[in-house]
Amino acid sequence: MTNNIKAQNKNLLEKITGYKQFGLVIGLIILLVFAYFLTPSMFTGGAIISMLKNNSVYAILAVGMMFVLLTGGIDLSVASTLGMTGVITSMSMSSNPQVPAFVWVVVSLVIGSICGLINGFLIGKLKMIPLIATLGTMYIYRGFAYLISGGNWLFPHKFTAGYIAYAQGDILGIPNITWIAILIFIAAAIFLSVTKPGRRIYAIGTNADSSHVAGIKVGNIKILAYTLSGMLAGLAGMLYTANYAICYYGMADGFELMAIAICILGGVSIIGGRGTVDGVVIGVIMMSIIAFFIGLLPGLSVWQDAIQGAIIIIAVAINIFTGRLSIKNALKERSSLI
Amino acid sequence: MNNNTQTGHLTVKNEFKLSKFLVKWEMILVYLLVLLNVVLIATRSNLYFTPGTVSSIIQSGMDLSFMVLGMIFILMLGDIDVSIASIMVLSGMVIGLLMDAGVNMMVAVLCGILAGGLCGLINGILVAKIKMPAVIVTIATSLLFRGIVKIVLDVNVLKNFPGWFVTLAWTNVFGIPLSLICFTIVAVLFGIILHRSKFGRQLYMIGNSQVVSKYSGIRVDFIKICVFVIMGLMSGVAAIFFIGRMGGGLSSTMAKGYEMDVIAICVLGGISTNGGKGKLYGPYIATLIMAFLIYTMGMLEVDANTRKIFTGIILIVAVLIPYVNRGLLADIKLKLLYADSKNIEAVNLRCQSEVSTLKAKIRKCRKDTLLSNEEKSAKIKGYEVKIESAKKKCEQASKSLKEEIQAERLKTKKKLAK
Amino acid sequence: MNDNMLELKDIVKTFGGVTALNGVQFQLKKGEIHALMGENGAGKSTFIKVITGVHQPDSGIMLLEGEKVVFHSTLDSQKLGIAAIYQHVTSFPDLTVTENIFMGQELTTKLGIYRWKEMRRKAKDLISVLSEDIDVTKPMISLSVAQQQLVEIAKALSRDARILIMDEPTASLTRHECEELYRIVEKLRDDGVSIILITHKFEDMYRLASRVTVFRDANYIGTWNVDGISNAKLIQAMVGRELNQMYPQKTAKIGDVVLEVDGISKEGYFKDVTFDVRKGEILALTGLVGSSRTEVCQTLFGIMQPDSGKIKLNGKEIFLSSPLDALNHGIGLLPEDRQLQGLIYELPIFQNVTAPVLNNYTKYSLLDEKKEMNKAIQLCEKIELKAKDIADVPSALSGGNQQKVVFAKLLNCDLKVLILDEPTKGIDIGAKSSIYEIINELAASGYAIIMVSSEMPEVLGIADRIVVMKSGRVTGRFHAKDTNQEEILAATLMKREEMINEEVHA
Repeated sequence: MTNNIKAQNKNLLEKITGYKQFGLVIGLIILLVFAYFLTPSMFTGGAIISMLKNNSVYAILAVGMMFVLLTGGIDLSVASTLGMTGVITSMSMSSNPQVPAFVWVVVSLVIGSICGLINGFLIGKLKMIPLIATLGTMYIYRGFAYLISGGNWLFPHKFTAGYIAYAQGDILGIPNITWIAILIFIAAAIFLSVTKPGRRIYAIGTNADSSHVAGIKVGNIKILAYTLSGMLAGLAGMLYTANYAICYYGMADGFELMAIAICILGGVSIIGGRGTVDGVVIGVIMMSIIAFFIGLLPGLSVWQDAIQGAIIIIAVAINIFTGRLSIKNALKERSSLI
Repeated sequence: MNNNTQTGHLTVKNEFKLSKFLVKWEMILVYLLVLLNVVLIATRSNLYFTPGTVSSIIQSGMDLSFMVLGMIFILMLGDIDVSIASIMVLSGMVIGLLMDAGVNMMVAVLCGILAGGLCGLINGILVAKIKMPAVIVTIATSLLFRGIVKIVLDVNVLKNFPGWFVTLAWTNVFGIPLSLICFTIVAVLFGIILHRSKFGRQLYMIGNSQVVSKYSGIRVDFIKICVFVIMGLMSGVAAIFFIGRMGGGLSSTMAKGYEMDVIAICVLGGISTNGGKGKLYGPYIATLIMAFLIYTMGMLEVDANTRKIFTGIILIVAVLIPYVNRGLLADIKLKLLYADSKNIEAVNLRCQSEVSTLKAKIRKCRKDTLLSNEEKSAKIKGYEVKIESAKKKCEQASKSLKEEIQAERLKTKKKLAK
Repeated sequence: MNDNMLELKDIVKTFGGVTALNGVQFQLKKGEIHALMGENGAGKSTFIKVITGVHQPDSGIMLLEGEKVVFHSTLDSQKLGIAAIYQHVTSFPDLTVTENIFMGQELTTKLGIYRWKEMRRKAKDLISVLSEDIDVTKPMISLSVAQQQLVEIAKALSRDARILIMDEPTASLTRHECEELYRIVEKLRDDGVSIILITHKFEDMYRLASRVTVFRDANYIGTWNVDGISNAKLIQAMVGRELNQMYPQKTAKIGDVVLEVDGISKEGYFKDVTFDVRKGEILALTGLVGSSRTEVCQTLFGIMQPDSGKIKLNGKEIFLSSPLDALNHGIGLLPEDRQLQGLIYELPIFQNVTAPVLNNYTKYSLLDEKKEMNKAIQLCEKIELKAKDIADVPSALSGGNQQKVVFAKLLNCDLKVLILDEPTKGIDIGAKSSIYEIINELAASGYAIIMVSSEMPEVLGIADRIVVMKSGRVTGRFHAKDTNQEEILAATLMKREEMINEEVHA
């Protein structure tokens, strides 16, 4: 017969092992087992709540980063966008405490989108290399954060209750900020799986030339991806300040690396075209467990950066090796024709 | 300055066209530098002419100057390294710790620089051998290296550095900053390597086409690793000047963001981030420009953090200019240099620009909603006919030019034969 | 009056001095399957690119259903119902079949949300006509090559293609899959689609086409009814030309075996390749595109390493780990694609020439540019390179002269074996003969030369011996003076089931 893979009636076991992120889930389970034995305190209610609170911001940034990575690019400016937007919303809020907090949410989305749009324009329209473009804007936005804040810090007493509630309040015991992150995950999953622009992001990440020939405006899709990344970073800015009830121009320094690390851990490919929301969810959970380890074990907090760096290197190396394996397999298939 | 090596009909012309040289990117940088100085003199002449101001300005920019030299090689290959600030701090830490432990001063310094080289080696192997993208790798190693410093130093500050570090960073020799002299010497060395040595030639080749370089028997991987090691060593050297500039202290949180400044300086200096383009003296001048720019901004009471905005803008604009310029340059070239020239290239350029304006007219015409279809096709046909005739003219013109050149060649051959 | 779906008249297309199409004609009747045949380099692929809008012809007209059309991009031709299916399908391997079919024209609600159910249904309808086995929800990469091709056809149909161009559709198919494809193509014709079929396989033509057109050397040779022409006549049309005085007299003295290739195999590319080359000899390596000749060359140059088999130089087994290794052993490669692999266009000519042996021009590690330039001038004059300035960039030269620069580069090294991969590709007639001179002289001065070529007369005119490959295997070995074009052509088309190895005794 022909060498095709027939669509069989899969039994449950095959369905489970065929699941794209199966490997990641196994990794997560192993990690959880380790955690249970090493730091059982992680599984208490208080610890979980605090983990949720601290990592929701990373999660939101990671979703935006995922869109950009899927197109084969990178966005180093998300942390600066977060900082600048956070400064703007917190400062505006504290000078206008009578304005309903919801307004600031909208403002953060708008400002973030503008930041992202600028990136998108540089990369999608002017065809700049994403690395350099976002490196530049990272600097620019951070500078503006300083300028607008005048170097001043905002302390908790300056924050209105309504504002803080967006992050710190809770429903059914889960912090609001986490609910927002969950909603964003769901929205992103829907966007990437059933909408036209979402699917086209995958298309251009996989094969920009074919996409172009098929009539897709590659530049516009890239602009969309970076705008979304900026928008989410902006929202993260407002939520970060609400969560910690603090605001200063240098906040969230290095968060872009966290976002990248989470995505890579979550199976998103750096060259584009591959990656799913559920993978990123797993990535966030893994990263938060690792961060918890480090934070808990005495004297280990200084190791955080070094470990993060090492994790990224290992994750990327694994990413590359699995990519090479699939090429080898494809060649094996071709051999049958020779 | 006319160098004509004549052998048969193949000649080598090394004409030095003054007009072309003066509009080169690097010369524009010189003008910029001069402009900055003029602005300074004009607005703060009292400060400017106070002895020591100009040299202080220069000195403040010399610590990252060494890293700029290393980054030139890296960018020339088409790669990037954002871990340099972390390597610098790590090298500094190694020097400081060894000195604290009582190790001989020169040995400690040497070890620090070697430590930087080791970091560069790690980067190089990950990028060249394992083929990981340089972006992500160096982002990760920047975390890793600085993380190591954090682990070792925690919140402590190293203070036990020899006094000559500060002297090196801040003294003058006959009014010229010592650090500038060091930078210039090393820059000349790098310049010789880049523009005159086999290694430098290979850098240009790899930067333009890795594939062709490989097919020509060049050891691409080895050279990549070398370049990253050099970068690491340079970061180690920079550590000395950095510590000196900071007054003899080092902590784990210092020098954050230096890598951006270094890359911005290189890009401003005309080094392309795609690789294979640029000359060494561009970033040399750009380093000075940056030092003056920082000072000028400081004068305008622009904070170090706000300064980031300008560095970012410079980076983006400097990268974009070559792109925007191509079309503009072609037009200017056409009008100034080739107006009457008997040159096949000129003929072609002129024809091309005619054709593209006509094509643009066709496009515009198509989009025009006010015209009817018949009018449109009539117009378009008219343009197309014009394009045809322009192309034909071009062909004939270049043909006759070619014949002229042939005839002249024959004449010279005959003359030589006599 | 005119039942021609597509008509092309007097199409001329040149690329920088090389004529790819020299006033060719073509008519495609409504609802017919029309085969287009010819050797590699005859102009078929350029022709297809003109039809689909990738290239615009220098002159000539194209009529679609009697009306003149001018395409400026592939989108234009797609909108008017022309679709092309090529040999190597890439598209979007990780996306599903449905998405591959609909990408660019997806069915969505007003909000932009995919109407999955509807798309899947439509995709299924399109695909089930072609094949029962394909699940439209699976990613493309899980399908076989044959199935992927069917998805491409479905994609074309989804865009209401009325003209379908198929480029070597049966190249990678098994016997059974071929039959399936024939059935489908016939059904398409019955449904009113007009098809241009490019193929090397006579059985494809006999089975499907009603008429066949032959191109040769960028010229239109003729159109015949498939019923009214014989194999022999067709081959003669494709191949027959006078072996003119283009090929220089061979004066080389053939010596001992220099390079021996013994049963090398590389998974996914070639299997059990064996041949040898002697000093002063020119060995032609011929076959169709896709026969993996270039990969064999790359293996001999150290870019790839064989999974098994031996390579022997002057009797001693060698292992080539990199091009540098190969050059050090005395093996050099003139690559197939000079733009991607042969020359660096941003650097001056002389720097390209000295690239592999920079050590020769260094004194205390510093380069002596004058020495480089002089050597470059010397080498270029030897091969009669026409260039004004050795410090110019290669893009200032014609194709033929650019190739000569690559030759100069190789001559600069101390080599025993030269591997030339399609040395005259994309070069006009005038320059070709001068390159043949060079190759001949190189053989005479003692190089052992392996030349990859797809042009029959060139192969017969230049080579001493000929090795034919098909789909990664050696299918024939001949002495140039003992064979003819038909015999070689037969070996290039050999079906997998019929592969024979002929031992040629020296």
